[in-house]
Formats: sequence, C-alpha cells, structure tokens
Amino acid sequence: MSTYVYGITAASHPSLPENMGGVGEPARPVRVLRAGDLAAVVSDAPDDLRPKRRELLAHQNVLAEAGAGGCVLPMRFGSVAPDDEAVTGVLVERADHYAERLRALDGRVEYNVKAHHVEEAVLHHVMAGNPEIRALAEANRLSGGGSYEQKIQLGEMVAAAVKDKEAEDAQVLERTLEPAADAVSVGPESTGWLANVSYLVERARAEEFLAAVERARTDMPHLELRVNGPLPPYSFVEPGPAQPAGTAAGGADAGAE
Amino acid sequence: MTVVPAQQTGGGGGSSGLYDVLELVLDRGLVIDAFVRVSLVGIEILKIDVRVVVASVDTYLRFAEACNRLDLEAGPRKSPGLPDVVGQVTESGARGKSKGVLAGAAESVSDAFRSVREGGSDSEEESRPRARKSTSARRKEEQE
Repeated sequence: MSTYVYGITAASHPSLPENMGGVGEPARPVRVLRAGDLAAVVSDAPDDLRPKRRELLAHQNVLAEAGAGGCVLPMRFGSVAPDDEAVTGVLVERADHYAERLRALDGRVEYNVKAHHVEEAVLHHVMAGNPEIRALAEANRLSGGGSYEQKIQLGEMVAAAVKDKEAEDAQVLERTLEPAADAVSVGPESTGWLANVSYLVERARAEEFLAAVERARTDMPHLELRVNGPLPPYSFVEPGPAQPAGTAAGGADAGAE
Repeated sequence: MTVVPAQQTGGGGGSSGLYDVLELVLDRGLVIDAFVRVSLVGIEILKIDVRVVVASVDTYLRFAEACNRLDLEAGPRKSPGLPDVVGQVTESGARGKSKGVLAGAAESVSDAFRSVREGGSDSEEESRPRARKSTSARRKEEQE
C-alpha cells in the first residue's frame, strides 16, 4: 500500500488533523507518521489518483487544517511514497533540513497575488498617452476598420504599449506590497496576468499586508487584483537558489572551474 | 474559443480560491526525490498553450478591433481609466468583448482548470485541438 504525503511538520505540532478525510473516493483518513522531532501528514494513496478537482481540494484542505495549528511544509500535489517506512526514512535522513525550514517559516503564511489589466481601462490609458496610436486608430476607423495590414500595425503598437504598461504596473504593485512581507516569490510569467507573485507574510502582520493590497486597489483602479491567502507556504518551502543543496555529489557542475 | 469559465470571482475560499491556488498546489511545494508524483500530463500541455495562443496575429487583430470599438463608445479624447465605462461594459455580461485579449489567456487557463474539475483525461485531450482550430480558423477568415 503506497502512502500519499500532504506535508511535513514538527512532531510537537499540537493539532494535526488525524482522521480527517483526505484524497481518494471514498476519502482516505489522514494519519500522522512520527520520526524523531518531525512528523509527516499522510494517508493511504488511492491506486487511481488523478489531479481532479476534488483531490486537489482534499490536498489543500488537509494542509489548511494542519497549517492552522502550526507551521507545515506543504508537499506539491500528488507526492506518493512506496510505503510508510519510506516516509519516515526521509524524515530521519533530512531531519536537519526540514527542522531548519520549519523554524524559518514558523508563524508565516503565503499570500498569492495575481493582477491583470481591466482591458477597457488600459486601452484608454494607452490611447490617451500615445498620439501615434490614436491617429492610427482614427485613420483605420475612418476607412471602415482599415486593411488587414493596417489592423496588424495598430494592434502591434497597442500590444507593445500594453506590455510596457503591464511591466510598469507590476513594478508599482510589487513596491506597494513588498514592505509588508518577509519574502517574495515571483511566479512563472504568463500572458494571463501581469503579476503573479507570492508573499511570505507574518501572521501577525497579515492585516498590514491586506491594507497594502487595498491601497494598491485604490491607487490603480485599472488593475484587477486577486488575492489568495492565508495559504501554506507553498512557494517558500525550499530555500533560495543561493543555498547549497547538499555538497557531496557534483554531477552537473558544467563550467565550474 | 468560446468557453467561459464556470466562475471568475476572486477572493474568498472555496472553489474560486482553488482556481487561483491550483498553480501553487501543482507547481510549488516540497518535492522529495524518493517519492513519485501523480501524472499531470494533460494540465502541463494546456499551460504551454496559453503562451502560444496569445503572442499571435490574432491578438493584434483583436486589439485593433478593441481600439476601434473604444473610439466609437467613448470618443478618442476621453480621459483614461474611467471607471463608469469599464463598470458598465463589464456588468453587461459581455465578458468576451469587455475583457477581450487580456482575459483570453485567463480563459485558456481556466479551460485547463475546468478539465481538472471534471476530472476526465478525455476532456483534457479534447480541448487542446479545439483551441488550436478556432484560432487558426479565425486567422484564415481574416486573410481572405
């Protein structure tokens, strides 16, 4: 029977959600595996586990419940160990590392902020601030929309201007929110949003952070901001790239000396 | 692609929260080499699609049209960021029009999420070629 792993925490964590429903259908009950000073929040792994909505929710809910009572290092969705012994083995093997991460993240939660432009508003900005674009749009309109090439030309200019505005607004947003956070993790770029940034925030300072979000909303009404949190610190479980990850093996040191 | 996400409102917990958090649950968090991971093939393919679809001629044409429409509705010298115009258009429920290009990408993402919700790997496979076809078909139309 393989073992599904939700997260790693301290063995002294006061309120782990034992017997809560986890992944699978029927939901597999949550168990706790302890080894030394650490504990893993696990359940049996269903054989046919797939990344369905209910499974993702179950993963997130177990972590939210566990995280409410103390710091938990969340696993990425879908982590399955061969058996319970493999889990406790990892806890023993990397005990120092996990203990350090738990200390570093203690009392802190993640807030994820995604922003995108309200299109009408940003197009107004772009048109108002750029006479060339305005003139071209006007010319196209007078000629019944313009030729294919003219449309492409206009669209290209607008797209470039919108992109510049996105970059500018992303910076302003980050400057507004960063002071209220301990750490920042920039998510993967995508054209779906102009900013996708996670902030590590002390629980005690959560209100301060949310106030900064409100300030950003007021200052930049042409942005749509979506804030999710408090979340388990998904984006902060691994230390920054500067930290050596284990020194023994040097397999991929291309170009080092 | 005319698929509209089941829900779009931000904030709060529940499913709309999951929509935004999904990427964190799937892409971040602790990874341990000794453990295997459930296959997420369908989802990863759709994510890449988001980038491909947007940086295209199609985008430029839609922007050009949006600008023309904007002129007609608001006049070329109207000052930027007028919330009344934005609010009105958004509320009218013409989501596809009012959000246009920018939301287009978000919709592709939510397609991915939708197929996650519905769970079938079949629906994941399906929505990809459909998205492609509609994009290139539209482009062809424009060229004729």
